[in-house]
Amino acid sequence: MSLYILEGLKPWVVQRVSAVYIALFLFYSLYCGLNVEVVSYIHWRGWLFQPFNSIAFGIFVVAVLFHAWIGMRDVILDYVHDIMLRLFFLALVMGVLVGSGLWVIRILLFSMVE
Amino acid sequence: MGRSASKDKRPVYLNLFKIHLPIAAVVSLAHRLSGLLMFLAMPFIVYLLDLSVQSSAGFDRVIAMLQQPLLLAVQILLVWALAHHLFAGIRFLLIDADLGVDRQAANYSAWLVIALSVLTTVIVSLGACLT
Repeated sequence: MSLYILEGLKPWVVQRVSAVYIALFLFYSLYCGLNVEVVSYIHWRGWLFQPFNSIAFGIFVVAVLFHAWIGMRDVILDYVHDIMLRLFFLALVMGVLVGSGLWVIRILLFSMVE
Repeated sequence: MGRSASKDKRPVYLNLFKIHLPIAAVVSLAHRLSGLLMFLAMPFIVYLLDLSVQSSAGFDRVIAMLQQPLLLAVQILLVWALAHHLFAGIRFLLIDADLGVDRQAANYSAWLVIALSVLTTVIVSLGACLT
């Protein structure tokens, strides 16, 4: 069996599955945010670094990175036709996404313990 | 494929100000635009997240920063972007699931997406002003 089976369909599926997770996480965060009485550093950290929330947030970040990559890739492939410019923008987008992702991992790992 | 196909002599007329775009096309364009805006904001949002969990002083700095007039305008724009992207995305998912595909329903839902995203932006902005 080819490793590339479903290759053309895969981004389409990833885009939609990540979209559903992102939407669910946003509604959950909104629900939590609206039930908050005081906005403070302690409460904010307490919310984000509670085990369930930090894992849900970690998955959210991964979903956003994949979602943004596929979306930006589609936009670049549609509007940028020059091959070198295309490579440049794709690399730029990838750089921003990987950088942001590593930064969030660093935040989740190193800011959790004070 | 688009490139080789465009080698024939047919005229290309793509003046966006003179083409009458159907409302569904406006929603689709705005979906792309709002996604692009949120992508551009991403590194800055991660920076704010980092600052907000590092220390109590950092958290206060984030709150102060978010109250600057220029950043308030950016926040309103990003609230619109998120709301539009979310509602238009739900609309696209429903259309993928074969719901609301016919022209009348698609036109109606496109207007609904625009109305809901503007309404959400107004409500969030007013809510932020009042608190």
